[in-house]
Amino acid sequence: MDAVAPVLRLEAVARDFSDGRVVRRVLKETTLDILPGELTVLAGPSGSGKTTLLTIMGLVLKPSAGRIWVAGEDVTGVPEDQLATLRQQRYGFVFQQAALVPALDVLDNVLVGTAIQGGRVSVQTRQKAVDLLASLGMQDFRSARPQQLSTGQQQRVGIARALVGDPILLLCDEPTSALDVESSHIVLDTLKKLSRDPRRGVVLVSHDPRVFPYADRLLKMEDGAIVYDTRQVSQGGG
Amino acid sequence: MRRHAAVRMLLHDRSTTAGAVLGVVAIVFLVGQQLAVMFGLLTLMAALVDNSGADIWILFQNTYNTSSAGSVPTRYVDRLAGMADIDWVEPVVYGGAQLRLADGTSQPVQIVGVSRPSLLGGPWKLAAGSNDVLLEYDGATVDRLDLKDLGDPAVGQVVEVNGKRIRVAGYTEGSRAFGAPLVFTNATKAREITGIPADRSSYILVKLKPTVDARGALAGIRNLLPKATALTAAELAGNNKLYNLTNTGIGSSFGFSTLIGIVVGVVIITLTMYTNVLNRQRDFAVLRALGARRRDVFFIILFQALTIGFIGLLVGFFLLAGFLFGVKGSRLPANLPLWLPPAHALFTFALCFLGSALALRRALKIEPASAFR
Repeated sequence: MDAVAPVLRLEAVARDFSDGRVVRRVLKETTLDILPGELTVLAGPSGSGKTTLLTIMGLVLKPSAGRIWVAGEDVTGVPEDQLATLRQQRYGFVFQQAALVPALDVLDNVLVGTAIQGGRVSVQTRQKAVDLLASLGMQDFRSARPQQLSTGQQQRVGIARALVGDPILLLCDEPTSALDVESSHIVLDTLKKLSRDPRRGVVLVSHDPRVFPYADRLLKMEDGAIVYDTRQVSQGGG
Repeated sequence: MRRHAAVRMLLHDRSTTAGAVLGVVAIVFLVGQQLAVMFGLLTLMAALVDNSGADIWILFQNTYNTSSAGSVPTRYVDRLAGMADIDWVEPVVYGGAQLRLADGTSQPVQIVGVSRPSLLGGPWKLAAGSNDVLLEYDGATVDRLDLKDLGDPAVGQVVEVNGKRIRVAGYTEGSRAFGAPLVFTNATKAREITGIPADRSSYILVKLKPTVDARGALAGIRNLLPKATALTAAELAGNNKLYNLTNTGIGSSFGFSTLIGIVVGVVIITLTMYTNVLNRQRDFAVLRALGARRRDVFFIILFQALTIGFIGLLVGFFLLAGFLFGVKGSRLPANLPLWLPPAHALFTFALCFLGSALALRRALKIEPASAFR
């Protein structure tokens, strides 16, 4: 059987931060493949480098070293505007506390990323957004403002926003950190279901242990390096 | 969607949007009002010249505006009348005088004496009746807007100017000039009041025949009268404005007021828009992460600035129109030339852009990665 092609490949990526005097390596050289149809959980204590790694995966932070491939295309050194377009077309992001735009209603929040580079939102995309909201139980809140929603509802809108562009890579940054147990399970069940799509990889950053059982692959980070990878463990274990 | 998001953000941040709009209104109204009054004063400075009907004015040698004293020989009228290009020539007597009020005090006035029977160069608009009242030996007109300053003289009332009697025979309507109230009378009476002898005149007004080349005629007049100054009406009007603007402090005063209006407006726009971006940093970071390029953020901020500018312009122009309507026919001169509103609008949009520059600078620095912090 052919090996599944990764949706994202990082090769020896590293990231340095400088305060003007001292250069500090916050992400050590990391090589990583994200496979479609898989929910990858990136865990680790605060400051371990997991958000840095996530933002590099998301093409919002440029690595100081290494190369990045998205769906087989080398995007290392691609100009910033093209990276923005790649993010718009290939990526979905779920942020901590949803990060909805308070000025926009729920439906506009879902659609905002699709036409943020100009142009009109197509009827099909609008309908898709409506359907996504309905599938997440948010059909009655299309015209509501984010501040009228509970944190869990906001996060579901955030998921709809991440999915409306049909991304091949869904990156989630601590999506359950502000949620109660029930809302966490709803969100995690949804993400797990989404990861079953064979065209899409899902990466979830969390230090919440409730998340771990949902992982197809668990990566643990410490001091800027991946110190544990369930795939390597299982491969190593035969 | 970019436009939609920009508008929704403006509507969401109502207080900051209102603050920025207020800044634009301040610019449009304060600057527009200052300019309208300044142009009103400029109109007054050249009113006598602009409304004289003459193409060319003859003044005392080396005199370039009507604020300077001096006179020319009245016999120049006959020499000019002999030129083929000239339609009519009339002398005008002009001078300052004191009008005695009923309470014994005096009010400075400007006496303008025009020749009978043509009365050319006389008042250009009367409240009622015609200029013919100046044909009478002691007939004079004063402006309706100056009546209070002149002790409210009734039509037919005799008043004393420089110790000479004149009879207020009619009221003019907006026939006013810069400075003291204008009193029009006939040249004979004006000579009596000002003491300018019959062989001298303050100015000589020349009207050219319709098809004549003004430049050529002016050159001919200058050759004919080397000891006088001959200027086109437009030149003299311009000189009057420039002289008064630069010598009375009006120019610097209005310039300073206008500058203050601009500075206040730009500061308000800058602070409110900058605050708005500071409050919305996370939103812009999220939009950037979702695929917005720097130019899309630029578009949103600029669109917001121009929308604020447009609303501010509408409100500001509405207030300005109210101001102009309110002062119409009052003593406060206000005049907005037709070219000024569009120029003012463009200028305001440019200031909105300038005011949003700091906000733009801040917004363009927002990194998409900050959405993850």
